[in-house]
Amino acid sequence: MNYKAEFADGTTTVELNGRFTFGDHSSFRKLIEEIRAHKSRTHVLDISGVEFIDSAGLGMLLLARDEGEKSHATVVIRGAQGQVKRMLEVARFDTLFTLED
Amino acid sequence: MAAGGETRVNHTVAVAQSLVQDDVKNMLASGAIWDQTENTSVKLAIGETPEDFPHSKHYTACVLPSEVSREWLGGLIRINCDTFVECSSAIDLADLAPLISAKNAPKNALSLCLSTRSAYLLPIARKFVTALRHRGMIGENIAPTIEMAVQEAFANSLIHGNLELDTSGHLSMNSFTELGEETQRRLASTQYGARAIVLTARKRRNGHVIISILDQGKGFTPPDEKATKDIAGRKTTFGRGLPLIRSLCHSVSFSRGGRTIELEFDQNKAELLPADPAFLANLDDGSRQKNEADLRNPQNATILIADDTMLSREIIASYLRADGFTNLVFAKDGEDALEQTKLHSPDLIILDIIMPKLDGYAVCKAIRANPEYAETPIIAQTALEENEGRTRIFDDGATDLILKPLNKAELIARTKIHLENRLLVKQLQAYQERTQSELELARNMQENLNPTPELYRGTGIDYGLRISATFQMSSELGGDMWGLVPIDTQRLGVYIVDFAGHGLGAALNTFRLHSLIWSEQLRDRNPSEYLEVLNRHLKGLLPVGQYATMLYGIIDRHENIFTYASAACTSPVLGNSSTGEARYLDGSGVPLGVIRNASYENREVPFDKNSFLLLYSDALIETTLDNGKFLSEEKLLSMLSETILEGGNEIDLAAQIADQFMDRAPAQLADDFTIVSLQSASFPSAI
Repeated sequence: MNYKAEFADGTTTVELNGRFTFGDHSSFRKLIEEIRAHKSRTHVLDISGVEFIDSAGLGMLLLARDEGEKSHATVVIRGAQGQVKRMLEVARFDTLFTLED
Repeated sequence: MAAGGETRVNHTVAVAQSLVQDDVKNMLASGAIWDQTENTSVKLAIGETPEDFPHSKHYTACVLPSEVSREWLGGLIRINCDTFVECSSAIDLADLAPLISAKNAPKNALSLCLSTRSAYLLPIARKFVTALRHRGMIGENIAPTIEMAVQEAFANSLIHGNLELDTSGHLSMNSFTELGEETQRRLASTQYGARAIVLTARKRRNGHVIISILDQGKGFTPPDEKATKDIAGRKTTFGRGLPLIRSLCHSVSFSRGGRTIELEFDQNKAELLPADPAFLANLDDGSRQKNEADLRNPQNATILIADDTMLSREIIASYLRADGFTNLVFAKDGEDALEQTKLHSPDLIILDIIMPKLDGYAVCKAIRANPEYAETPIIAQTALEENEGRTRIFDDGATDLILKPLNKAELIARTKIHLENRLLVKQLQAYQERTQSELELARNMQENLNPTPELYRGTGIDYGLRISATFQMSSELGGDMWGLVPIDTQRLGVYIVDFAGHGLGAALNTFRLHSLIWSEQLRDRNPSEYLEVLNRHLKGLLPVGQYATMLYGIIDRHENIFTYASAACTSPVLGNSSTGEARYLDGSGVPLGVIRNASYENREVPFDKNSFLLLYSDALIETTLDNGKFLSEEKLLSMLSETILEGGNEIDLAAQIADQFMDRAPAQLADDFTIVSLQSASFPSAI
């Protein structure tokens, strides 16, 4: 997985790309550090470029949510497609996050 | 001392060139791969990359370099081999050896054995499932489900099994960071990192696919089934793996004290994660089952006689025997008839209509419902003379009708006619299969028009270029071709051709063009003249409506320029290896063979020590991928950029892009697929 982060108008938008799986520990940690540094009100995780996610990837999304809660920010997951979308549905992530198309 | 009567097993093993031969020999001698009690002779075939092992040759095993790269993992799809093993002295297979044994016969199976260290960094589940798809072991529609389940099971075996990491409960960001650091430490240690993980897949006769993942950890006993039902569990960060696996498979079981997880998939069941409908809609229904050519003489045919009275059965049997038909099987009622059909797959069925348990109508229907018996002749025998019964039995699928009491001559005549028809159909099928094998030959010839890996790699080095190429022919003969034309010490020509359509015609044209390309007239021509000359020749050769697209270009190492001309070729990509930037070049121009006096333009772009060039056939951008879409222009550029930034000049760009493409494309391509990359590279001058 690789990502690009952008900050504008109190919103941090992170575009994630590729496969998001158990081996993505360090890139995810860097991503969280980058989000922390911005101190925004809203964190948007744009995962439209993610082709595949496993349960560890879902776990990392939960960590991102905890991070948001800590700083009272809203965490939005945007643009899930294909396998990723079906995984979010199976894991009922709609009850945990704001999901946007 | 081998006794003369013993059978000798010959193994050819594909070996990565970077390995030390002694290490490979030690591993082979250790009994890791096959049982040492066998009387074996082993031949090693050495290759620099997976491209060096021709697909027409089968290898018993493939020995991968230690710290397996993505490229070698791609060998799972490209090398004709069923057992892949990482070679490392640190790996001790212990009770996992031998990987190939009589028990898991390599037929219709695939095994991959890696160290934890290598496996952790690679997209194992994806490659394994792509390989199963390409081998026809699993259907396209169930592949996404299997990939998901394998990903979870594999991660469990790797992280909880071999690395013995505990990820239970809800993690905080701090404990997540600690976990990451501990993972790195354990991967680096011999105790954990060198443990082996083995994935195997095999297909059962009922079509179910069994995937087993074996680790060398302490063993993991799954918690109570009920407790893990809830995939959505909120209290855990990483605890969804097992329930997810259970929801995706037909069944899950554990053995070897929890160090083996076995997943069973039923290919006919509905899937939780089905493939994209747009992807499936575009698949060629190339799944036609090949029946073994079974050319028997009619007298050897197996005939099933289904009749509830023994006397009738005996009468029919005696008539048939008298005429030389001796392979007779009997059924005493309708249910028995279905049973015997399944058991013996008869070539012809003589069926009574009025029978207990299941009457002839129902038997007919049931037999026809099975595609395997769709063509089996059924002669219904009946005393019914009224029209209604006759019509009905034909509606239900009978081939012919014969009236009771039976007339011997009539019975024999009808039996023979139907068996002969059946035979003709089978012969026709066999003929088709023979044609198929001749096509195979033509296919090999066509593949030989392209330079071999040794040749293009060597030529590349002469010009300070790292050249990589992948070619996959479509299900039929195709019309793709590429090649290199060394001009002088500084200039190297390269071409890529795609004839419209595929099949025999397109293939023949590639042969024609190939001989033109290597004729004298084209020597020392600049790209535009080159295409103009070729075009005039082709216009004379090709019938109206046939044409080719082509690009010819010259890389000049002295001037640092790439000059090319294009006849409607796909837009080549020019990029920079150090920045990852890439752009499309203009590929426009009149296709070859359309108008007599087509003229082409020379286009020049800078090509220096950081440049790379990618040429490809349209299959790369016109194949429906697993998301139901074509590979977009931007996506190809970003794939190139990511791949080159990750691997630099050390990787074979075209092969890497092809691997990523194969992961997402159907196993059977509708068109030829060619991709060639030329990257500037510096090679040690000693070579």
